[in-house]
Amino acid sequence: MTRRARQGALGLALVLPPLFLLAFLVVLPAVTAVVDTLTPAGGGSGPTLANYAQVLATRTVRADIGFTIAVTLVSVAAVFALSYPLALYLRFSRGRVARVLGVLFVVPLFVPVVIASFAMITFLVNHGFVSTIAYHLGTRTFPRLVYNATGITLAQVWVNIPFAVLILGAGLQAIDDALIDGARDVGAGAVRTFVSIILPLNATPTMITLTLLFIGVFGSFTIPYLVGGNAPAMLGVTMTNYLTQYLRRTESVTMAVLAFLIAAVVGAVYVASVSRRERGTA
Amino acid sequence: MKGRWNVRGLAAMVLAAAVAAVFIPGSAPDRAAAAAPVTLNVYINGDTNIFDLWSKSLLPAFGKRYPQYRANMVALLHGNGSQGVFDKILAAKRAGRTTDVDLWETEPSFVQQGMADGLWVKLSADMLSNLSKIPPQKLAATGGYSIPYRGSSVIIAYNSQYVKTPPKTFDDLVAWIKANPGKFAYCDPNTGGSGQAFVAAAIYKFVNPDKYAGNAYDAKEEAAWDPAWKLLHDLQPAMYNNGFYPNGNVAVLQLLAQQNIYIAPVWSDMSLDFLKRGLLPKTVNLEQITPPLFGGDSTVTLPALSQHLEGALTLLNWLLTPEAQEMVINAVSGYPGVDWKYMPASVRAKFADVAKPYSPLPNAQYLADLKRLWHDRVAAGQ
Repeated sequence: MTRRARQGALGLALVLPPLFLLAFLVVLPAVTAVVDTLTPAGGGSGPTLANYAQVLATRTVRADIGFTIAVTLVSVAAVFALSYPLALYLRFSRGRVARVLGVLFVVPLFVPVVIASFAMITFLVNHGFVSTIAYHLGTRTFPRLVYNATGITLAQVWVNIPFAVLILGAGLQAIDDALIDGARDVGAGAVRTFVSIILPLNATPTMITLTLLFIGVFGSFTIPYLVGGNAPAMLGVTMTNYLTQYLRRTESVTMAVLAFLIAAVVGAVYVASVSRRERGTA
Repeated sequence: MKGRWNVRGLAAMVLAAAVAAVFIPGSAPDRAAAAAPVTLNVYINGDTNIFDLWSKSLLPAFGKRYPQYRANMVALLHGNGSQGVFDKILAAKRAGRTTDVDLWETEPSFVQQGMADGLWVKLSADMLSNLSKIPPQKLAATGGYSIPYRGSSVIIAYNSQYVKTPPKTFDDLVAWIKANPGKFAYCDPNTGGSGQAFVAAAIYKFVNPDKYAGNAYDAKEEAAWDPAWKLLHDLQPAMYNNGFYPNGNVAVLQLLAQQNIYIAPVWSDMSLDFLKRGLLPKTVNLEQITPPLFGGDSTVTLPALSQHLEGALTLLNWLLTPEAQEMVINAVSGYPGVDWKYMPASVRAKFADVAKPYSPLPNAQYLADLKRLWHDRVAAGQ
């Protein structure tokens, strides 16, 4: 064997185990599940969309899907609105505050999500920390902050900020200081620099952050299960309930395929924006 | 080169020694084999308090009483891995071999599934002398394929400091809830049996419980549940926190302890345990209402192809003695599997308030639909 052929064979051998793992543990079960949802319940012939029609006909499931999309969009917007300024601040500021913030913002990454959820509940619940402070400041009626969409959003924001700041920050690092200085020399203010220089150059990391955040929050289970209300529920909780509590496997898999389709649309946007970048720099 | 160890040779020696250490003891003759106790494997599906009951109380006492046996417990937390155990037993039957599962505490649905394949020993009085101590109707429910050794039921806990005249019937309870909004809660039925029991009690107000407790299942029978959904939906504004259903049995007990609510349905063994440990205020009393909330027994099953049938039968028989049943009461505050009359008078006095008959549990399929319909009709308000 030539040296090149040997190296090629070695590369193939190294890639095969994870490929097999992916094929047999992820791809094959997923394909089997999708085929399952397309087979009619009575065992008739030919693919049918009856399962999807039945699932979408259930009012609570439709409400859950709508609720999930709404909570995801609000959470992603909130995380983005908080992380971009923080990333900009960390990129362009020197000084002690920036250094301290630079360490603090990563902390939620190291806290397990279950613990973070329980901490958030204790913090925000009626008779909890926030409520007690508000009481001492004079407020007597306290809005419910946990066991509803607000609780889910607050917890998701807390958990996802480090990830968003890290990716946006990495994109901002790639922007040369010379470009910023050049813009300032020509007379551009901070806002103009941001809109014309930083935003376009940071477009790909922004797309990546938004799409990964969406997929992450959309499919989450732990936070909605612990911090969410009884109804409507996020899709992750609903799917789990249909499978383990209501013993309805087909409905659960159908919902999983629907969730996958929604996430796939967002994933397509991610792939398109990344490959556009590859083509651009090639 | 001088003084440098021959690394390869050293590594080879270490590797050879490790391989030898692993394999050689296995081939040494087991001199103590003749006197070694027989090890029984007991698979337990449950929660941490049940694991403690078995590993800290029951099995050591059994080992002391019968030194020729030693029991090993395999814990299946919340039933995780139960399907694997069932498949193992089924595979042993199909392959014509014995299985290492000597005793299994599991859900009725697995016992049900295994009956068709003949996986379990049908226990009778000539195999187990203590079988006669079990109330006959409990044995009839399992057909002799599994033995109830402990039980519990859902009861009503109320804080006597705030509730001077506790409601005695289900209708009284509903009236009390409407008169005292925000002071009652039951957990989401997906997360705890105490919530399921309250929902079932609303259903049993309009239908005969026995229709749903057997093995038959017909989804059309659930149309009779509609008045119950209306009742529970109307009750929603009077619930704790405007219709919030906590996540789990323990969450409701905690609300009771923090005096956020004054009445709640709770499991008898959990609440007695909490009272014993001081986690509930002393003013909390327990009672059973009329008609009673549901309850059930935990049963153990004996696989027919167990490797140590004789030892397993001995363990099972010992489990039904007053000595073992008292451990059930002391460790987890459960009801005994045997009839109450075999328990000492002091125990019967302690349980006088709650040791009453309970309503039957709906079977697994009806229970699954109960949870789904509750979610659709009550929580989501469809």
